[in-house]
Amino acid sequence: MQIEGIVTQQPTMGSLKRKSPEEPSTSSSRPLHDCVHHVSYPPGYTHPSSPPTQTHAEPAKKFPFTLDPFQSQAITCLENGESVMVSAHTSAGKTVVASYAIAMSLRDGQRVIYTSPIKALSNQKYREFKEEFSDVGLMTGDVTIDPNASCLVMTTEIWRSMQYRGSEITREVAWIVFDEVHYMRDRERGVVWEESIVLSPKNSRFVFLSATVPNAKEFADWVAKVHKQPCHVVYTDYRPTPLQHYIFPSGGDGLYLVVDDKGKFREDSFQKSLNALVPTTEGDKRKGNGKRQKGLVLGRAGEESDIFKMVKMIIQRQYDPVILFSFSKRECELLAMQMAKMDLNGDNEKDNIEQIFNSAMDMLSDDDKKLPQARYFLNLVSNMLPLLKRGIGVHHSGLLPILKEVIEILFQEGLIKCLFATETFSIGLNMPAKTVVFTNVQKFDGDKFRWISSGEYIQMSGRAGRRGIDERGICILMVDEKMEPSTAKNMVKGAADSLNSAFHLSYNTILNQMRCEDGDPEKLIRNSFFQFQADRAIPDLEKQIKLLEKERESIVIEEENSLKDYFNLLEQHRNLNKEVRDIVLSPRHCLPFLQPGRLVSLDFTSSDEDLTPVFIEDQLTWGLVINFERVKSASDDDASVKPEDASYNVDVLTRCVVKKDKIGKKSIKIVPLKEAGEPLVVSVPISQINSISSLRLFIPKDLLPLEARENTLKKVLETLSRFGDKGLPLLDPEEDMKIQSSSYKKASRRIEALESLFEKHEIAKSPLLKQKLKVLQRKHELTAKIKSIKKTLRSSTVLAFKDELKARKRVLRRLGYVTSDNVVELKGKVACEISSADELTLTELMFNGVFKDIKVEEMVSLLSCFVWQEKIQDAAKPREELDLLFMQLQDTARRVAQLQLECKVEIDVESFVKSFRPDIMEAVYSWAKGSKFYEIMEITQVFEGSLIRAIRRLEEVLQQLIAAANSIGETQLEAKFEEAVSMIKRDIVFAASLYL
Amino acid sequence: MRGIQLPLSQTQKVRLQKTLEQLESLSSKVNSDASVIIADSIPVNHEDGVLKGHGTADLNGEVVATVCGVVERVNKLVYVRSLRSRYKPEVGDIVIGRVAEVAQKRWRLDINFNQDAVLMLSSMNMPDGVQRRRTALDELNMRCIFEENDVVCAEVRGFQHDGLHLQARSRKYGKLYRGQLLTVPPYLVKRQKQHFHHLEEFGIDLILGCNGFIWVGEHIEAKDDMVEDQVSQSDPQVLLHNSASLEEQERNYTILETRKYICRAANAVRVLSILGFNITLEIIKGIIDLSLSMNLDIHEMLGSEFCVLVAEKEAERRSSNKKKR
Repeated sequence: MQIEGIVTQQPTMGSLKRKSPEEPSTSSSRPLHDCVHHVSYPPGYTHPSSPPTQTHAEPAKKFPFTLDPFQSQAITCLENGESVMVSAHTSAGKTVVASYAIAMSLRDGQRVIYTSPIKALSNQKYREFKEEFSDVGLMTGDVTIDPNASCLVMTTEIWRSMQYRGSEITREVAWIVFDEVHYMRDRERGVVWEESIVLSPKNSRFVFLSATVPNAKEFADWVAKVHKQPCHVVYTDYRPTPLQHYIFPSGGDGLYLVVDDKGKFREDSFQKSLNALVPTTEGDKRKGNGKRQKGLVLGRAGEESDIFKMVKMIIQRQYDPVILFSFSKRECELLAMQMAKMDLNGDNEKDNIEQIFNSAMDMLSDDDKKLPQARYFLNLVSNMLPLLKRGIGVHHSGLLPILKEVIEILFQEGLIKCLFATETFSIGLNMPAKTVVFTNVQKFDGDKFRWISSGEYIQMSGRAGRRGIDERGICILMVDEKMEPSTAKNMVKGAADSLNSAFHLSYNTILNQMRCEDGDPEKLIRNSFFQFQADRAIPDLEKQIKLLEKERESIVIEEENSLKDYFNLLEQHRNLNKEVRDIVLSPRHCLPFLQPGRLVSLDFTSSDEDLTPVFIEDQLTWGLVINFERVKSASDDDASVKPEDASYNVDVLTRCVVKKDKIGKKSIKIVPLKEAGEPLVVSVPISQINSISSLRLFIPKDLLPLEARENTLKKVLETLSRFGDKGLPLLDPEEDMKIQSSSYKKASRRIEALESLFEKHEIAKSPLLKQKLKVLQRKHELTAKIKSIKKTLRSSTVLAFKDELKARKRVLRRLGYVTSDNVVELKGKVACEISSADELTLTELMFNGVFKDIKVEEMVSLLSCFVWQEKIQDAAKPREELDLLFMQLQDTARRVAQLQLECKVEIDVESFVKSFRPDIMEAVYSWAKGSKFYEIMEITQVFEGSLIRAIRRLEEVLQQLIAAANSIGETQLEAKFEEAVSMIKRDIVFAASLYL
Repeated sequence: MRGIQLPLSQTQKVRLQKTLEQLESLSSKVNSDASVIIADSIPVNHEDGVLKGHGTADLNGEVVATVCGVVERVNKLVYVRSLRSRYKPEVGDIVIGRVAEVAQKRWRLDINFNQDAVLMLSSMNMPDGVQRRRTALDELNMRCIFEENDVVCAEVRGFQHDGLHLQARSRKYGKLYRGQLLTVPPYLVKRQKQHFHHLEEFGIDLILGCNGFIWVGEHIEAKDDMVEDQVSQSDPQVLLHNSASLEEQERNYTILETRKYICRAANAVRVLSILGFNITLEIIKGIIDLSLSMNLDIHEMLGSEFCVLVAEKEAERRSSNKKKR
């Protein structure tokens, strides 16, 4: 069914009946199942003389299907009692390895811990394992079920804090499964994995499950080194269902196959697809960097939007179920809205959906069911149902958690044919579809739009193709602007992202390490993956240095020393010249002479070349001054700036080449007079003028006609040739311009001296002088490069983060968290417990007595600033009492930040202060007061799911505060925090997950 | 001089008096007004608002002390650190305890606190070093790990619903043998970064328990986990043998030299306890060296003369420390 570069006919609207199932025409050869297997041994490791003592004849668990080679390989390692890192695609079946590890531990009476990055994922895994093994418990921030079970599913954060606090589990756990361990590269949370792995008990074994990462071996080496045990790597690129990648050009009307299921990139087809891009007309284009809203623009005049066409086509070709990824929650919903006309489900399915939906919603209270009556029509529980019934779903983090779970369940049951999702859907439980569509190829990453990385592409496209159902998975990329073939190729065929450490130090970590007798933050750093990678880079850097040095040695120059001498002279000469020029051309001196018609020489290579030219004379041309004007900048509007100090632009008539690039922006380049080009008046800064001649030419009154300008330039050329080799007479700075500053005199005298040296110099007569000088310059550059690499080398050999650790310890001492002997004090003990919010600011707030006098709901509202991170435009200011509290918070935060700055911790004070956001204070206040959820949704402008997540996180912080107050014996405060928890922990916000 | 019970000659008395006075003058002047007795009012700035912590109470709008001690201020929190008090456990403290009772899945330890601490079987590393769940058999064999009156070192884990819990994070915690247990007033042991010390030159271990129990014993190398791991693979039978061999080890001979050093260190601690000086590694080492350089016999270390000498040396040390700053 896949003809190369197929262009489908537009299906006619209305009938969306399915065609009869097509048979795949190609007999696809299954891709190779092979996997790569490595073992990393710790340095100095000797094999145990005898093979593992007990070999179980019976496997701990039997699977009803034949295992793939990588699975059985990994399981063999497990049976041998050795750690293993499995790196494979999402759909490949890594869970098999995890569940085998669990079965094995249960058989041997050992504990096993399964950690995952996301609470929702933990819930799902808990359900999955509970069905299979029964002796399973769950610990997330929100719920704890049977913490005494042999197999514990938890979030990585919980596991870390468990290790800091000490728990019997740490002495009983034999196997630790880290799922989605590639999360370690997450900028914010990645460090949690690193700490957890380093701190894990020395006698336990690990199972790491990760997406494909090219440096899995490096990771295993690290684990082997830190835990002094062998660690296996099982890596496979294998996908049970091969993928085909298509491109759908926006405005076009068909799919183009760019990568076939054998993994071949088809250049021609790709080009064709780009040519089919219908350029957006000027009128449509939004000014500036306006939000990309492709597909959102409803088709002009009755035309359908791209997304609608796409879905229609997918349904018609039976490529459903389909997941359509977009990168913003709102876009997701808007896209789904456009599908309103479609109906993809039969009556039977509709009944099913309604039943499932209603039984799930029964968990909610009646008030919550009529949740909100306002903004996003999709969020209404009541409005969601009709859409779901038609087989269309939306999934993003802004949804009510319960709704999200219903949709997941419906999708797994195959009742949703078309799901609009954000990136979050691409991690975790196996929820594959036949087709994955990328509605955008760019993503906003906080400060700018960028292309999707190949790693992200791999992760998301991993959702395509259901094992055992689909012959192949289909990936469709909707492209709306010209992208370079290389960019596209990189995205579609590129390597997976490397697993790089995102290690950073937090005060919480430092304190926790310092508190414990064996702990030492430096040891943690030394054992971190970050340090490991830094150490590893050393041989590479050394090699680079060697190469560069070799290259430098290979450059042999005759008479090098005298040449160097000459080079230095040139350099000095140039610097002096520049100095003189700066004096002469300072507006004070030169403005009186920039009359119209003055001949000036200009630099014309200022930016294009990066090699600093050795000889400036090469880049000079001449022009006629027409006018000059002061450059207005924002600051010098007021009269205080003297005319001499302002900067000026000079309009000069000279020869230029005008180029227009695609966007239509003109770029003007000045070229020598004799070359082809138009005579034009260009505006240049004074600094671009090289020298001013004493001559002035007559300029015609009207320069508008091309001829007039051409004639004027001809006159310039004539004048130039008249003076021939001598060059035009220049204005004499002293006599003509009356410059009398001493610095000028000194400089000009030195120039004279230098010039005489030039002539005397032995090498000046050498015919190949110029080439030789260029070679010498190259050599100098190499030397500089070697120097800079050596510098990085030096900095990586010393302990990374050493300075930062020092600075941060200084902060802790200054604030009285630790004594000068590094003993953790009262405040430090509080900060130890706080890991979900900024520990310093919160602790300071607590010891400043802020929490003591305010009401509980005010306190909860204040704490909400610690957990809310999204920016909301024009959010209403909270009421006065709350604003006052918020100001106190800001003061405290500013003081903390200022102190950190003083202690040489790199921090931006203002952005740190601004990171506390008051946007949901009102909402949380009234939630704590007992309002219904739909009432607080009317107060704020945020997504329900986001608010719920914030309140749950708030509860987490409160729990930590309870522990903190308890550990320092503040029973009153503890009771207050406990009361706060009971006030916010209710109803829909803490509705239990459907998976439990 | 208060409370120091030593048979002193007249000259010794004068010397000691002088030394103590010197020490008093050395103690930080800043805090001199900070020491309070019961019902002393603590000056606070009410406008800023204060948090009243331990050892304080509100009396007619005044903050007063309810214990004798030193006023400490942390931001707005005001509390009184009492001078001579019973041991009060804090999370993370290193303590030494004596097994009082072997109960279900737990040992009860006397740690000089107003209640016995609990050390769960699961909070203890298994002697075979294997990570696994504890079985009923393990529970039956608990006496192979610790029995009544054993001296055990552990870390305070925190207050749970059923009392104060201890834990043993690594192999260096656990049963202590071949040495002496000393009891000193707990306030003499300050919380420090390190409480485990290995005095290499003497071949002895010194553990300063925050609860005022101090262990001085022959140095025992913390066993290497990896080697241990291969010895036995989770066979409860092996466990029995293992502990039997432990006892065998215990009967092993400690050379006289080491035994002497143990006693010397123990007496150094005793001297400090008599004088009521803070007990730190540095000072203990100093006393041992002093006694060695004077060629004193171990028993002579407890004599009045030596005590006075130690006091004088300490005063000297502190004043020179102060000058350095």
